[in-house]
Amino acid sequence: MTPVLETTGLGVRHRRAWALRDCSLALPRGRVAALVGPNGAGKTTLMHAVVGLLRPATGSVTARGRVAFMAQDKPLYDGFTVAEMLAFGRRTNPGWDGEAAASRLAALGIPPGRKVGRLSGGQQAQVALTLALARRPGLLVLDEPLANLDPLARHDVMRAIMAEVAERELTVLLSSHVVSDLVDTCDWLVVLNGGRVQVSGDIEDLLAGHLVLNGPVELADGVAAGTRVVAAGRAGRRATLLVRGGPVADPRWTSRHPGLEELVMAYLRSPESAALPRPAGVGG
Amino acid sequence: MIWLTWRQHRPQILLTAAFLAALGLLLLGSAVEARLYLAEHAPPGCPGAATACGDLAVGLAERYDAVYSVFGWMPLVLPALIGAFWGAPLLGREYERGTHRLAWTQSVPPWRWLAVKLAVLGGAVVAGGLVLSLMVSLWRPVFRDGIDSAFGNIGVFNMVGVAPAAWWLYAFALGTLAGAVFRRTLPAMALVVAGVAATMFALFALSDHYAEPVRAELTGAVVLDDPDARLVRAAWVEPSGAEVAGPAAAACPRRVDTGRSGRNTDAWHACLFAEGYRFAVYYHPPARFWRFQWTEAAILLTASVAFGGLAARRVLRRAGG
Repeated sequence: MTPVLETTGLGVRHRRAWALRDCSLALPRGRVAALVGPNGAGKTTLMHAVVGLLRPATGSVTARGRVAFMAQDKPLYDGFTVAEMLAFGRRTNPGWDGEAAASRLAALGIPPGRKVGRLSGGQQAQVALTLALARRPGLLVLDEPLANLDPLARHDVMRAIMAEVAERELTVLLSSHVVSDLVDTCDWLVVLNGGRVQVSGDIEDLLAGHLVLNGPVELADGVAAGTRVVAAGRAGRRATLLVRGGPVADPRWTSRHPGLEELVMAYLRSPESAALPRPAGVGG
Repeated sequence: MIWLTWRQHRPQILLTAAFLAALGLLLLGSAVEARLYLAEHAPPGCPGAATACGDLAVGLAERYDAVYSVFGWMPLVLPALIGAFWGAPLLGREYERGTHRLAWTQSVPPWRWLAVKLAVLGGAVVAGGLVLSLMVSLWRPVFRDGIDSAFGNIGVFNMVGVAPAAWWLYAFALGTLAGAVFRRTLPAMALVVAGVAATMFALFALSDHYAEPVRAELTGAVVLDDPDARLVRAAWVEPSGAEVAGPAAAACPRRVDTGRSGRNTDAWHACLFAEGYRFAVYYHPPARFWRFQWTEAAILLTASVAFGGLAARRVLRRAGG
């Protein structure tokens, strides 16, 4: 299956420093992909390159189908009413689904005559999301859609995105620096660190392919030699290794699969590790 | 897109239109009142050279000055305001609020977004400038017919013909570029005000060179009798025909005037003329009005296009989010 979004050797330079370097990733159709990484990792830069706000210095971005973008802080025209905001969408987008947009906002109880600047943060996020969805995109790119929202609004926004994904063929790329927000909703993970793609893959496969090993510290080096260690730590006489690969036969070692947050943290702590699909592994 | 431009810039457009309407009413009222005054008080044969016409002329001049004092500041301030409120926010506000990320990620490509905005707002600015020019051009002759044209006074010159339209467009383009460079409205506004003022002084100095000045040699007076001409420079001409910066000290004794009296200077001039000196004046005659108008407009238009192009380049190059 051809990926909806593909970047090859993507590099973006801000002034003299590289904000993104040699980023290659492929996002299969229908996935909800989480783009995670620390602040300054290049998440926003990558998204801006995807939606055409930035022209890459090297490499290429290919997005198949219409791309809709919700930028960080959900920019809207504060002085516009909700209805005028929809008129903005209608007049700047052919194929605009005004009916769906209007009924969506009506269902959320957002009055069309209200000035956007007077809506709550959650309502503004919903208006911004509605603007993006009414364009009937194939790929929805959301930059920190949950930031600055209270827990209830976070939940509502996330539910709205998932409802749209369930309804029709929609691929979503959303960024967050809070991994726990994404655990139940995303099925694809992209970890960006220091301007490079560190992890890109199906979350289930990634979790199944990694193990957290716990055993005597004096044996740690021997175990480490046989697998690919992502991160290692020790507590007293016990060593904990997060490895990519199979379990250890030695009964003195216990093993379990990591959680998503654990996995992400392990990679972010060791920027030299990477878990990227081989070219043949793209897809799925 | 045109709707969006109108919706986003409605306050500026309405305010400018309201201002022009108010100014139009003021000028109309002033002109009608002056006509009535003339009809009531004009002795037969006036306006003309008769002494009875003097009072009438004074009355008219008072009325003219009263209104002129209201808008004598306009040639400088109006372009500055146009630049600050039409130009600077066009891109500055979008960047500052982050809404450029919304506007430029819709299906309408950014170049079209910018092209429509520049065309609609630029067109409106030019139309506004022409309306101002038309109103001033209709109003002035009521008072100044036969007294002066609009050439000699640079302030008046910049309010008639195509000058206001050119200045407004220039300020708008400068403001747009400043907004694109600073990515904030307030610094862009400050730059536009400073930029318009600097340009006005620069072009005022440059305007002497718009054409080769006419040379006239005066004998008996050092003042050109056409108050509407623009003086470029003047020099004394020796009896031999050579132009000198100052007449030789031996030719005539020069004593310094005291107080406000010009007696000694007048005597010195009379002596020089008697000695065969002539006074050469280089000036631009009022007949060059349109030549100067179009020259200035062409300079401003070229700059506007350049500013607009640079702003577009900054938008379309898409460096930084």
